[in-house]
Amino acid sequence: MFPASDRPPDPAPLMGRVAAGDAVAIRECLARYGGLVWSIARRFEYSDAEDAVQEIFLDLWKSAARFDPGIASETAFVAMIARRRLIDRRRSRRRRPTTEQMPEQPTFADPASAPDTCAEASQAARALDQLRPEQRQVLVMSTAHGMSHGEIAAQTGMPLGTVKAHARRGLLSIRAALLGVDQGENP
Amino acid sequence: MKRTLNEIETFRAQELLLQRATEGLDDAEAHELAALGADEDYSFDLAASAVDIATLKVEVMPIGVADKILIAAGVEASRTMVIPSMAMSTLAGYVPPRMISTGSTIPPNVQLGGGPVVGVVVPLVENQQSQLPPTPVAARFIERPPAPVIPIQSRKRSTSYAWIAAAASIVLAAGAVVWATQREPEVITKEKIVEVPVQPPPRKEPTAAEARAQLLATERDVTTLAWTPTKDPNGAGASGDVVWSATAQRGYMRFVGLTPNDLKQLQYQLWIFDKDRDQAYPVDGGVFDVSSTGEVIVPITARLRVNEPVLFAVTIEQPGGVVVSKRERIVVTAAPKTG
Repeated sequence: MFPASDRPPDPAPLMGRVAAGDAVAIRECLARYGGLVWSIARRFEYSDAEDAVQEIFLDLWKSAARFDPGIASETAFVAMIARRRLIDRRRSRRRRPTTEQMPEQPTFADPASAPDTCAEASQAARALDQLRPEQRQVLVMSTAHGMSHGEIAAQTGMPLGTVKAHARRGLLSIRAALLGVDQGENP
Repeated sequence: MKRTLNEIETFRAQELLLQRATEGLDDAEAHELAALGADEDYSFDLAASAVDIATLKVEVMPIGVADKILIAAGVEASRTMVIPSMAMSTLAGYVPPRMISTGSTIPPNVQLGGGPVVGVVVPLVENQQSQLPPTPVAARFIERPPAPVIPIQSRKRSTSYAWIAAAASIVLAAGAVVWATQREPEVITKEKIVEVPVQPPPRKEPTAAEARAQLLATERDVTTLAWTPTKDPNGAGASGDVVWSATAQRGYMRFVGLTPNDLKQLQYQLWIFDKDRDQAYPVDGGVFDVSSTGEVIVPITARLRVNEPVLFAVTIEQPGGVVVSKRERIVVTAAPKTG
Protein backbone atom coordinates (compact mmCIF):
# COMPACT_ATOMS: atom_id res chain seq x y z
CA MET A 1 0.00 0.00 0.00
CA PHE A 2 2.91 2.33 0.69
CA PRO A 3 6.09 2.74 -1.31
CA ALA A 4 8.86 0.99 0.60
CA SER A 5 10.98 4.14 0.75
CA ASP A 6 8.15 6.08 2.42
CA ARG A 7 7.99 3.79 5.43
CA PRO A 8 10.23 4.12 8.42
CA PRO A 9 11.84 0.82 9.32
CA ASP A 10 9.36 -1.07 11.47
CA PRO A 11 10.66 -2.99 14.45
CA ALA A 12 10.43 -6.74 14.06
CA PRO A 13 6.70 -7.58 13.88
CA LEU A 14 5.23 -9.36 16.83
CA MET A 15 1.79 -10.39 15.64
CA GLY A 16 2.85 -13.75 14.22
CA ARG A 17 4.43 -14.74 17.51
CA VAL A 18 1.51 -13.34 19.48
CA ALA A 19 -0.89 -15.38 17.37
CA ALA A 20 1.17 -18.46 18.18
CA GLY A 21 0.75 -17.76 21.89
CA ASP A 22 4.39 -16.84 22.53
CA ALA A 23 4.37 -15.42 26.05
CA VAL A 24 7.51 -13.35 25.45
CA ALA A 25 5.92 -11.78 22.37
CA ILE A 26 2.80 -10.97 24.37
CA ARG A 27 4.94 -9.16 26.92
CA GLU A 28 6.80 -7.34 24.17
CA CYS A 29 3.54 -6.42 22.50
CA LEU A 30 2.27 -4.91 25.71
CA ALA A 31 5.50 -3.01 26.23
CA ARG A 32 5.55 -1.76 22.65
CA TYR A 33 1.90 -0.85 22.19
CA GLY A 34 0.65 -0.38 25.76
CA GLY A 35 1.14 3.38 25.71
CA LEU A 36 -0.50 3.74 22.30
CA VAL A 37 -3.57 1.70 23.23
CA TRP A 38 -3.84 3.29 26.65
CA SER A 39 -3.70 6.79 25.16
CA ILE A 40 -6.29 6.03 22.46
CA ALA A 41 -8.58 4.50 25.08
CA ARG A 42 -8.17 7.47 27.42
CA ARG A 43 -9.43 9.81 24.71
CA PHE A 44 -12.42 7.60 23.99
CA GLU A 45 -13.19 6.55 27.53
CA TYR A 46 -11.68 8.95 30.01
CA SER A 47 -13.58 7.31 32.88
CA ASP A 48 -13.26 3.63 32.02
CA ALA A 49 -10.04 3.32 30.07
CA GLU A 50 -8.68 0.50 32.21
CA ASP A 51 -11.44 -1.96 31.32
CA ALA A 52 -11.36 -0.86 27.71
CA VAL A 53 -7.62 -1.45 27.42
CA GLN A 54 -7.95 -4.96 28.84
CA GLU A 55 -10.67 -5.78 26.32
CA ILE A 56 -8.60 -4.35 23.48
CA PHE A 57 -5.53 -6.42 24.28
CA LEU A 58 -7.54 -9.61 24.67
CA ASP A 59 -9.10 -8.81 21.30
CA LEU A 60 -5.63 -8.19 19.89
CA TRP A 61 -4.31 -11.59 21.01
CA LYS A 62 -7.27 -13.20 19.21
CA SER A 63 -6.96 -11.07 16.07
CA ALA A 64 -3.17 -11.12 15.75
CA ALA A 65 -3.23 -13.82 13.06
CA ARG A 66 -5.15 -11.45 10.79
CA PHE A 67 -2.30 -8.95 10.66
CA ASP A 68 -1.14 -8.36 7.07
CA PRO A 69 1.94 -6.12 6.72
CA GLY A 70 0.92 -5.46 3.12
CA ILE A 71 -2.17 -3.60 4.29
CA ALA A 72 -0.96 -1.66 7.31
CA SER A 73 1.93 -1.27 9.67
CA GLU A 74 1.69 -3.19 12.92
CA THR A 75 1.15 0.06 14.84
CA ALA A 76 -1.77 1.01 12.62
CA PHE A 77 -3.18 -2.52 12.89
CA VAL A 78 -3.11 -2.30 16.68
CA ALA A 79 -4.77 1.11 16.55
CA MET A 80 -7.49 -0.25 14.24
CA ILE A 81 -8.25 -3.10 16.64
CA ALA A 82 -8.33 -0.62 19.53
CA ARG A 83 -10.67 1.74 17.74
CA ARG A 84 -13.03 -1.02 16.67
CA ARG A 85 -13.38 -2.19 20.25
CA LEU A 86 -13.79 1.34 21.61
CA ILE A 87 -16.44 2.16 19.01
CA ASP A 88 -18.32 -1.02 19.94
CA ARG A 89 -18.16 -0.12 23.61
CA ARG A 90 -19.40 3.38 22.92
CA ARG A 91 -22.30 2.13 20.80
CA SER A 92 -23.29 -0.36 23.46
CA ARG A 93 -23.16 2.33 26.12
CA ARG A 94 -25.33 4.63 24.04
CA ARG A 95 -28.02 1.97 23.95
CA ARG A 96 -28.44 2.20 27.71
CA PRO A 97 -28.91 5.22 29.96
CA THR A 98 -25.68 6.64 31.27
CA THR A 99 -24.66 9.38 33.63
CA GLU A 100 -21.26 9.79 32.02
CA GLN A 101 -20.47 13.38 31.14
CA MET A 102 -18.87 14.42 27.90
CA PRO A 103 -15.77 16.55 28.29
CA GLU A 104 -16.40 20.27 28.07
CA GLN A 105 -13.98 20.76 25.23
CA PRO A 106 -11.94 17.98 23.69
CA THR A 107 -8.24 18.69 23.72
CA PHE A 108 -6.15 17.91 20.69
CA ALA A 109 -2.49 17.24 20.45
CA ASP A 110 -0.85 19.34 17.79
CA PRO A 111 -0.35 16.94 14.85
CA ALA A 112 3.06 18.50 14.28
CA SER A 113 4.18 17.40 17.75
CA ALA A 114 2.55 13.99 17.64
CA PRO A 115 4.74 10.91 17.87
CA ASP A 116 6.02 9.71 14.52
CA THR A 117 5.07 6.15 15.27
CA CYS A 118 4.24 4.82 11.83
CA ALA A 119 4.23 5.86 8.20
CA GLU A 120 0.45 6.12 8.14
CA ALA A 121 0.45 8.62 11.01
CA SER A 122 3.09 10.79 9.31
CA GLN A 123 1.09 10.81 6.08
CA ALA A 124 -2.11 11.54 7.95
CA ALA A 125 -0.45 14.45 9.78
CA ARG A 126 0.65 15.95 6.48
CA ALA A 127 -2.81 15.45 4.99
CA LEU A 128 -4.49 16.99 8.04
CA ASP A 129 -2.43 20.14 7.50
CA GLN A 130 -3.99 20.46 4.05
CA LEU A 131 -7.58 20.38 5.33
CA ARG A 132 -9.67 23.44 6.06
CA PRO A 133 -9.66 24.20 9.81
CA GLU A 134 -13.33 23.33 10.32
CA GLN A 135 -12.89 20.10 8.34
CA ARG A 136 -9.89 19.15 10.44
CA GLN A 137 -11.76 19.99 13.65
CA VAL A 138 -14.73 17.80 12.76
CA LEU A 139 -12.53 14.95 11.57
CA VAL A 140 -10.44 14.93 14.74
CA MET A 141 -13.51 15.13 16.99
CA SER A 142 -15.05 12.28 15.07
CA THR A 143 -12.09 9.94 14.65
CA ALA A 144 -9.85 10.69 17.60
CA HIS A 145 -12.50 11.32 20.24
CA GLY A 146 -15.19 9.02 18.96
CA MET A 147 -17.83 11.75 19.04
CA SER A 148 -20.97 11.19 16.99
CA HIS A 149 -21.92 13.64 14.30
CA GLY A 150 -24.83 14.76 16.46
CA GLU A 151 -22.52 15.42 19.40
CA ILE A 152 -20.13 17.35 17.18
CA ALA A 153 -23.01 19.42 15.82
CA ALA A 154 -24.17 20.16 19.35
CA GLN A 155 -20.67 21.05 20.48
CA THR A 156 -19.65 23.21 17.53
CA GLY A 157 -23.01 24.69 16.54
CA MET A 158 -22.55 23.48 12.95
CA PRO A 159 -25.60 22.06 11.17
CA LEU A 160 -25.63 18.25 11.22
CA GLY A 161 -25.41 18.07 7.42
CA THR A 162 -22.30 20.24 7.48
CA VAL A 163 -20.69 18.05 10.12
CA LYS A 164 -21.38 14.97 8.03
CA ALA A 165 -19.97 16.59 4.92
CA HIS A 166 -16.80 17.73 6.72
CA ALA A 167 -16.27 14.31 8.26
CA ARG A 168 -16.75 12.56 4.94
CA ARG A 169 -14.54 14.87 2.88
CA GLY A 170 -11.90 14.98 5.57
CA LEU A 171 -11.60 11.22 5.91
CA LEU A 172 -11.67 10.74 2.13
CA SER A 173 -8.72 13.15 1.91
CA ILE A 174 -6.72 11.24 4.51
CA ARG A 175 -7.58 7.93 2.86
CA ALA A 176 -6.51 9.27 -0.55
CA ALA A 177 -3.21 10.44 0.94
CA LEU A 178 -2.58 6.99 2.42
CA LEU A 179 -3.47 5.23 -0.81
CA GLY A 180 -1.48 7.71 -2.87
CA VAL A 181 -4.41 8.51 -5.15
CA ASP A 182 -6.55 11.54 -5.97
CA GLN A 183 -9.54 11.96 -3.73
CA GLY A 184 -11.91 11.43 -6.63
CA GLU A 185 -10.48 8.00 -7.37
CA ASN A 186 -12.00 4.97 -5.77
CA PRO A 187 -9.48 2.15 -5.82
CA MET B 1 -15.76 -12.03 -7.21
CA LYS B 2 -16.15 -8.41 -6.22
CA ARG B 3 -18.96 -6.83 -8.19
CA THR B 4 -18.74 -3.36 -9.76
CA LEU B 5 -20.83 -0.77 -7.94
CA ASN B 6 -22.73 2.01 -9.65
CA GLU B 7 -22.37 5.60 -8.51
CA ILE B 8 -25.16 5.47 -5.96
CA GLU B 9 -23.93 2.19 -4.53
CA THR B 10 -20.38 3.52 -4.33
CA PHE B 11 -21.57 6.57 -2.43
CA ARG B 12 -23.59 4.41 -0.05
CA ALA B 13 -20.69 1.99 0.47
CA GLN B 14 -18.40 4.92 1.30
CA GLU B 15 -21.00 6.33 3.66
CA LEU B 16 -21.19 3.02 5.50
CA LEU B 17 -17.42 2.57 5.55
CA LEU B 18 -17.03 6.07 6.94
CA GLN B 19 -19.62 5.33 9.59
CA ARG B 20 -17.97 2.02 10.48
CA ALA B 21 -14.63 3.80 10.91
CA THR B 22 -16.01 6.53 13.16
CA GLU B 23 -19.28 5.55 14.81
CA GLY B 24 -19.73 1.86 14.07
CA LEU B 25 -22.55 0.03 12.30
CA ASP B 26 -25.61 -1.74 13.57
CA ASP B 27 -26.43 -5.22 12.29
CA ALA B 28 -28.62 -4.03 9.42
CA GLU B 29 -25.97 -1.59 8.22
CA ALA B 30 -23.22 -4.22 8.50
CA HIS B 31 -25.42 -6.53 6.42
CA GLU B 32 -25.96 -3.83 3.82
CA LEU B 33 -22.21 -3.20 3.58
CA ALA B 34 -21.57 -6.90 3.12
CA ALA B 35 -24.24 -7.08 0.43
CA LEU B 36 -22.45 -4.29 -1.42
CA GLY B 37 -19.30 -6.41 -1.25
CA ALA B 38 -17.38 -3.63 0.51
CA ASP B 39 -17.10 -4.99 4.02
CA GLU B 40 -13.48 -6.03 3.56
CA ASP B 41 -12.37 -2.55 2.56
CA TYR B 42 -10.42 -1.36 5.61
CA SER B 43 -8.99 1.79 4.02
CA PHE B 44 -11.41 4.05 5.93
CA ASP B 45 -10.64 2.32 9.23
CA LEU B 46 -6.95 2.72 8.48
CA ALA B 47 -7.37 6.40 7.66
CA ALA B 48 -9.27 7.01 10.91
CA SER B 49 -6.61 5.12 12.88
CA ALA B 50 -3.86 7.15 11.22
CA VAL B 51 -5.58 10.41 12.24
CA ASP B 52 -5.96 9.00 15.73
CA ILE B 53 -2.25 8.19 16.03
CA ALA B 54 -1.17 11.44 14.37
CA THR B 55 -3.05 13.54 16.90
CA LEU B 56 -2.27 11.43 19.94
CA LYS B 57 -0.27 12.41 22.97
CA VAL B 58 1.09 9.06 24.08
CA GLU B 59 0.98 8.43 27.81
CA VAL B 60 2.58 5.54 29.65
CA MET B 61 0.14 2.77 30.56
CA PRO B 62 -0.02 2.22 34.34
CA ILE B 63 1.88 -0.86 35.46
CA GLY B 64 -1.14 -2.27 37.28
CA VAL B 65 -3.15 -2.27 34.06
CA ALA B 66 -0.36 -4.05 32.18
CA ASP B 67 -0.16 -6.69 34.90
CA LYS B 68 -3.91 -7.32 34.76
CA ILE B 69 -3.76 -7.78 31.00
CA LEU B 70 -0.91 -10.25 31.29
CA ILE B 71 -2.79 -12.21 33.92
CA ALA B 72 -5.91 -12.25 31.75
CA ALA B 73 -3.77 -13.50 28.87
CA GLY B 74 -2.41 -16.30 31.03
CA VAL B 75 1.08 -14.79 31.04
CA GLU B 76 2.97 -14.24 34.25
CA ALA B 77 2.44 -10.63 35.28
CA SER B 78 4.95 -8.98 37.54
CA ARG B 79 8.12 -11.02 37.57
CA THR B 80 7.86 -11.66 41.26
CA MET B 81 4.11 -12.13 41.40
CA VAL B 82 3.09 -15.70 42.14
CA ILE B 83 -0.06 -16.70 40.35
CA PRO B 84 -1.25 -19.90 42.02
CA SER B 85 -3.27 -21.23 39.11
CA MET B 86 -0.38 -21.08 36.70
CA ALA B 87 2.70 -21.18 38.87
CA MET B 88 3.72 -24.75 38.20
CA SER B 89 3.01 -24.75 34.52
CA THR B 90 4.56 -21.48 33.52
CA LEU B 91 7.20 -20.37 35.95
CA ALA B 92 10.54 -21.33 34.50
CA GLY B 93 8.88 -24.33 32.89
CA TYR B 94 9.55 -26.29 36.08
CA VAL B 95 8.27 -29.83 36.08
CA PRO B 96 8.75 -32.07 39.11
CA PRO B 97 11.44 -34.68 38.54
CA ARG B 98 10.35 -38.20 37.76
CA MET B 99 12.22 -41.39 38.32
CA ILE B 100 13.61 -43.43 35.51
CA SER B 101 15.78 -46.52 35.70
CA THR B 102 19.33 -45.70 34.84
CA GLY B 103 22.59 -45.46 36.70
CA SER B 104 24.58 -42.69 38.25
CA THR B 105 27.41 -44.91 39.44
CA ILE B 106 28.30 -48.31 38.22
CA PRO B 107 28.78 -50.90 40.93
CA PRO B 108 31.85 -53.14 40.58
CA ASN B 109 29.80 -56.17 39.57
CA VAL B 110 28.32 -54.54 36.53
CA GLN B 111 29.25 -56.05 33.21
CA LEU B 112 28.96 -53.54 30.47
CA GLY B 113 28.79 -55.89 27.56
CA GLY B 114 25.55 -57.72 27.85
CA GLY B 115 25.59 -59.71 31.09
CA PRO B 116 23.50 -58.95 34.15
CA VAL B 117 23.63 -55.36 35.23
CA VAL B 118 22.50 -53.51 38.28
CA GLY B 119 20.36 -50.46 37.94
CA VAL B 120 20.05 -47.73 40.50
CA VAL B 121 17.69 -44.84 40.40
CA VAL B 122 18.61 -41.26 39.84
CA PRO B 123 16.26 -38.42 39.13
CA LEU B 124 16.05 -36.90 35.71
CA VAL B 125 13.98 -33.85 35.11
CA GLU B 126 11.47 -34.66 32.45
CA ASN B 127 11.77 -31.49 30.44
CA GLN B 128 15.53 -31.83 30.38
CA GLN B 129 15.14 -35.27 28.95
CA SER B 130 13.05 -33.92 26.14
CA GLN B 131 15.72 -31.39 25.32
CA LEU B 132 18.53 -33.92 25.05
CA PRO B 133 20.09 -34.05 21.61
CA PRO B 134 18.98 -37.05 19.57
CA THR B 135 22.40 -38.67 19.64
CA PRO B 136 22.65 -42.42 19.20
CA VAL B 137 22.85 -44.45 22.35
CA ALA B 138 26.45 -45.23 23.11
CA ALA B 139 26.19 -46.13 26.76
CA ARG B 140 23.44 -47.20 29.07
CA PHE B 141 24.67 -45.50 32.16
CA ILE B 142 25.31 -41.82 32.31
CA GLU B 143 25.88 -39.37 35.02
CA ARG B 144 23.66 -36.35 35.01
CA PRO B 145 25.86 -33.25 34.72
CA PRO B 146 25.62 -30.74 37.50
CA ALA B 147 23.45 -27.70 36.90
CA PRO B 148 25.46 -24.97 35.21
CA VAL B 149 26.80 -22.36 37.57
CA ILE B 150 25.64 -18.91 36.58
CA PRO B 151 27.88 -16.35 38.21
CA ILE B 152 25.44 -13.48 38.34
CA GLN B 153 21.73 -14.10 38.34
CA SER B 154 19.73 -11.45 36.60
CA ARG B 155 16.38 -13.11 37.21
CA LYS B 156 15.44 -13.90 40.77
CA ARG B 157 12.57 -16.16 39.77
CA SER B 158 14.66 -18.50 37.67
CA THR B 159 17.14 -18.67 40.54
CA SER B 160 14.45 -19.78 42.96
CA TYR B 161 13.15 -22.51 40.74
CA ALA B 162 16.60 -23.68 39.79
CA TRP B 163 17.26 -24.05 43.51
CA ILE B 164 14.01 -25.94 44.05
CA ALA B 165 14.87 -28.29 41.21
CA ALA B 166 18.42 -28.73 42.48
CA ALA B 167 17.21 -29.38 46.03
CA ALA B 168 14.69 -31.92 44.77
CA SER B 169 17.44 -33.67 42.83
CA ILE B 170 19.69 -33.86 45.89
CA VAL B 171 16.92 -35.28 48.06
CA LEU B 172 15.99 -37.87 45.48
CA ALA B 173 19.62 -38.79 44.82
CA ALA B 174 20.21 -39.23 48.55
CA GLY B 175 17.14 -41.43 48.74
CA ALA B 176 18.45 -43.46 45.86
CA VAL B 177 21.74 -44.09 47.63
CA VAL B 178 19.93 -45.25 50.78
CA TRP B 179 17.66 -47.43 48.71
CA ALA B 180 20.57 -48.94 46.81
CA THR B 181 22.58 -49.75 49.93
CA GLN B 182 19.71 -51.25 51.92
CA ARG B 183 18.57 -53.90 49.51
CA GLU B 184 20.05 -56.64 47.44
CA PRO B 185 21.01 -55.62 43.94
CA GLU B 186 18.23 -56.48 41.55
CA VAL B 187 19.36 -58.44 38.55
CA ILE B 188 17.65 -57.20 35.48
CA THR B 189 17.82 -58.54 31.99
CA LYS B 190 18.94 -56.70 28.90
CA GLU B 191 15.34 -56.17 27.84
CA LYS B 192 14.64 -54.20 30.98
CA ILE B 193 17.42 -51.72 30.44
CA VAL B 194 16.19 -48.26 29.57
CA GLU B 195 18.29 -46.74 26.88
CA VAL B 196 19.14 -43.14 27.57
CA PRO B 197 20.64 -40.81 24.98
CA VAL B 198 24.14 -39.77 25.77
CA GLN B 199 24.47 -36.24 27.02
CA PRO B 200 27.64 -34.37 26.11
CA PRO B 201 30.09 -34.02 28.97
CA PRO B 202 29.43 -31.06 31.23
CA ARG B 203 31.06 -27.89 29.98
CA LYS B 204 32.46 -25.36 32.35
CA GLU B 205 30.45 -22.16 32.06
CA PRO B 206 32.68 -19.11 31.79
CA THR B 207 32.32 -16.50 34.46
CA ALA B 208 30.75 -13.19 33.48
CA ALA B 209 34.20 -11.61 33.51
CA GLU B 210 35.57 -14.31 31.21
CA ALA B 211 32.59 -14.04 28.89
CA ARG B 212 32.99 -10.26 28.74
CA ALA B 213 36.68 -10.57 27.92
CA GLN B 214 35.88 -13.15 25.26
CA LEU B 215 33.28 -10.85 23.69
CA LEU B 216 35.78 -7.99 23.58
CA ALA B 217 38.38 -10.28 22.03
CA THR B 218 36.20 -11.92 19.39
CA GLU B 219 33.67 -9.35 18.19
CA ARG B 220 34.82 -6.41 16.10
CA ASP B 221 31.77 -4.22 16.63
CA VAL B 222 31.82 -4.02 20.41
CA THR B 223 30.80 -0.61 21.70
CA THR B 224 32.24 0.33 25.09
CA LEU B 225 30.59 3.20 26.94
CA ALA B 226 31.45 4.56 30.39
CA TRP B 227 28.71 4.91 33.00
CA THR B 228 27.81 8.38 34.19
CA PRO B 229 26.17 8.44 37.61
CA THR B 230 23.09 10.60 38.14
CA LYS B 231 22.20 12.40 41.36
CA ASP B 232 20.47 9.29 42.68
CA PRO B 233 22.16 8.26 45.94
CA ASN B 234 22.52 4.64 44.79
CA GLY B 235 24.62 5.74 41.85
CA ALA B 236 26.78 8.29 43.63
CA GLY B 237 30.42 7.51 42.94
CA ALA B 238 29.60 4.56 40.70
CA SER B 239 31.77 3.94 37.69
CA GLY B 240 32.37 1.21 35.14
CA ASP B 241 31.25 0.62 31.61
CA VAL B 242 28.87 -1.23 29.37
CA VAL B 243 29.93 -3.25 26.35
CA TRP B 244 27.57 -4.31 23.58
CA SER B 245 27.98 -6.16 20.30
CA ALA B 246 25.15 -5.76 17.81
CA THR B 247 26.48 -8.71 15.81
CA ALA B 248 26.53 -11.07 18.76
CA GLN B 249 23.53 -9.40 20.42
CA ARG B 250 25.40 -9.77 23.68
CA GLY B 251 26.78 -7.36 26.19
CA TYR B 252 27.92 -6.89 29.76
CA MET B 253 27.67 -4.17 32.37
CA ARG B 254 30.61 -3.57 34.69
CA PHE B 255 30.07 -1.56 37.85
CA VAL B 256 32.34 -0.40 40.61
CA GLY B 257 30.82 1.39 43.57
CA LEU B 258 27.16 0.84 42.75
CA THR B 259 25.19 0.56 45.99
CA PRO B 260 24.26 -3.06 46.81
CA ASN B 261 20.51 -3.61 46.75
CA ASP B 262 18.20 -5.45 49.11
CA LEU B 263 16.34 -7.60 46.63
CA LYS B 264 13.29 -7.67 48.87
CA GLN B 265 13.02 -3.91 48.47
CA LEU B 266 14.27 -3.10 45.01
CA GLN B 267 16.21 -4.33 42.01
CA TYR B 268 18.19 -2.67 39.29
CA GLN B 269 16.88 -2.85 35.74
CA LEU B 270 18.66 -1.99 32.51
CA TRP B 271 16.95 -0.21 29.63
CA ILE B 272 18.47 0.06 26.17
CA PHE B 273 17.39 2.83 23.82
CA ASP B 274 17.87 1.64 20.26
CA LYS B 275 18.15 4.11 17.40
CA ASP B 276 15.87 1.91 15.31
CA ARG B 277 13.08 1.86 17.88
CA ASP B 278 10.58 4.26 19.36
CA GLN B 279 12.41 6.03 22.17
CA ALA B 280 9.26 5.84 24.28
CA TYR B 281 9.74 2.08 24.48
CA PRO B 282 13.31 1.20 25.39
CA VAL B 283 14.28 -2.45 25.32
CA ASP B 284 14.24 -4.23 28.67
CA GLY B 285 17.86 -5.26 29.31
CA GLY B 286 17.15 -7.36 32.38
CA VAL B 287 16.79 -7.10 36.13
CA PHE B 288 19.86 -7.61 38.27
CA ASP B 289 21.26 -7.40 41.78
CA VAL B 290 24.45 -5.89 43.10
CA SER B 291 25.93 -7.59 46.12
CA SER B 292 29.06 -5.55 46.71
CA THR B 293 30.59 -2.20 45.96
CA GLY B 294 33.55 -3.94 44.35
CA GLU B 295 33.64 -4.81 40.67
CA VAL B 296 30.47 -6.48 39.54
CA ILE B 297 29.89 -7.75 36.00
CA VAL B 298 26.35 -8.39 34.85
CA PRO B 299 25.36 -10.01 31.55
CA ILE B 300 22.77 -8.07 29.55
CA THR B 301 19.62 -10.02 28.76
CA ALA B 302 17.97 -7.87 26.11
CA ARG B 303 14.39 -8.91 25.39
CA LEU B 304 14.48 -7.59 21.84
CA ARG B 305 17.10 -7.12 19.16
CA VAL B 306 19.20 -3.99 19.68
CA ASN B 307 20.94 -2.72 16.56
CA GLU B 308 22.31 0.67 17.50
CA PRO B 309 22.10 1.56 21.18
CA VAL B 310 22.02 5.30 21.77
CA LEU B 311 21.57 5.17 25.52
CA PHE B 312 21.86 2.62 28.30
CA ALA B 313 20.07 3.54 31.50
CA VAL B 314 19.86 1.67 34.79
CA THR B 315 16.78 2.34 36.90
CA ILE B 316 15.68 1.21 40.33
CA GLU B 317 12.47 -0.75 40.21
CA GLN B 318 10.29 -2.95 42.37
CA PRO B 319 11.63 -6.47 42.94
CA GLY B 320 11.20 -8.44 39.73
CA GLY B 321 11.33 -5.36 37.53
CA VAL B 322 8.63 -3.72 35.49
CA VAL B 323 7.34 -3.90 31.94
CA VAL B 324 7.38 -0.12 31.52
CA SER B 325 9.53 2.02 33.77
CA LYS B 326 8.26 5.23 35.29
CA ARG B 327 11.91 6.34 35.20
CA GLU B 328 11.59 7.84 38.65
CA ARG B 329 15.01 6.66 39.79
CA ILE B 330 17.65 6.54 37.11
CA VAL B 331 20.97 5.55 38.65
CA VAL B 332 23.52 5.56 35.86
CA THR B 333 23.47 6.16 32.14
CA ALA B 334 25.88 5.54 29.29
CA ALA B 335 25.67 7.12 25.87
CA PRO B 336 27.99 7.66 22.92
CA LYS B 337 29.59 11.08 22.85
CA THR B 338 27.98 13.37 20.31
CA GLY B 339 29.69 15.88 18.09
